[in-house]
Amino acid sequence: MSTVEGDENESLGNASNSAVTNEETSSNTTRSGPLNDSEGGAKVVFLLKAAGGAPILKKKKWALPRSKTMGHIVEFLKKYMQLDSQQQQQLFLYVNQSFAPALDTTIGSVNDCFSSEGTLVLHYSLTQAWG
Amino acid sequence: MGQSIDDKEITRELWQSRLPICFILSDEDMSKVNRSELPEPLYLMLARHSYFPCIIEKIHRYYSTYFKENVNETTNNINLANLWLEFESIPLKWHYPIGVLYDLYASSVSSTSHLPWQITVHLSKFPEGEILRFPDKESIEAHYMSTIKEADALKHKGQIIGDMQKRDHKQLWNSLLQDKYDGFWNINNKLMNYTDSLQYFRYIPFRVYIVDKPFIQKLFSPYDIDQDKFMTLNDLLDFVLHHEAQCELLANEKKILNTNVDDYQVIIHGIQPPINTPIQWLSEHFSYPDNFLHICLIEKRT
Repeated sequence: MSTVEGDENESLGNASNSAVTNEETSSNTTRSGPLNDSEGGAKVVFLLKAAGGAPILKKKKWALPRSKTMGHIVEFLKKYMQLDSQQQQQLFLYVNQSFAPALDTTIGSVNDCFSSEGTLVLHYSLTQAWG
Repeated sequence: MGQSIDDKEITRELWQSRLPICFILSDEDMSKVNRSELPEPLYLMLARHSYFPCIIEKIHRYYSTYFKENVNETTNNINLANLWLEFESIPLKWHYPIGVLYDLYASSVSSTSHLPWQITVHLSKFPEGEILRFPDKESIEAHYMSTIKEADALKHKGQIIGDMQKRDHKQLWNSLLQDKYDGFWNINNKLMNYTDSLQYFRYIPFRVYIVDKPFIQKLFSPYDIDQDKFMTLNDLLDFVLHHEAQCELLANEKKILNTNVDDYQVIIHGIQPPINTPIQWLSEHFSYPDNFLHICLIEKRT
């Protein structure tokens, strides 16, 4: 399984530049097109924030291709935080600090609807934090 | 959008629409039956807006009588916890409304729909990785509540669902389970209100389904301020298909989506609504109980 890219600062750098550009060029965000950046546009940049006392990650900013799912991020986080060895089964991923999309939802569609100012924020929690 | 009593009747009609479904045990699992009698097909009349996990207990109970004692043993690979449904080699997602699954898969396989809808029941070899597990009513209830919150986040920044009492949330789900139209709409009416002195929703909660692709969801406002007009179903689909195709191009996908709306049959609740219907009206009357418009696009054969 391909995982969230943790150490590719270059790719992330590009992506954040394009996010800034996007913010400037599209004041009307309602019907703006996808990112017009040939490199960054294919990936979704998102922040992972801890909620409900979950372990805090050093690295906050991540990037993934649009077709990857919420399930991919959950599986990645479980491995990354070595939850399996702690017999911790569950990890919840929230959007807008209110709802948890089904795990087969693509990060692309979540991003298209719920990113603000070019960046998507996801909260992860080991217990049900909202709802 | 103007509300009339006649329009309200449409929501009642949709609520009452049912699909006759015939469940048949897979050949492989049939061969493991250890009673003298083999299970007959199971016929159920199910609400289009319901979910298969809501009736999973019924299916469990039905088949458990045909397997002596060892239904939950792993030795013979028959395990009711591994029950899953299949249509024409497609594992059916537990968390899609039944009507969406039918419109998406049964309309694309054959031009004339065959009812009852024939579904194969499997008790072994759960297709991990292809579909998610929703083993009981509680898990699908959590999914439903999350989806309705998402819908309200789009429509009203989550203000209305957030202001509701826990018991109102419960009433939405219980009315759905117990098939109580009035109980459901008493609460759901609030979710159809407007906020922020708008005369429409901020964004329309919708998902577009095309076979062999994840569903597509975008931000779409039902009202164009610049042109001072309400957007139609055609406007929404045109925007969605072009936006998605552009995303695919950027991602260097090999196959790019057909962006011509006319090349698709557009189906919601088994109905092909006029393509120039205002999307705000559709959102208020044609949404599923999760407050999303689930729109199936079936590519016409050329």
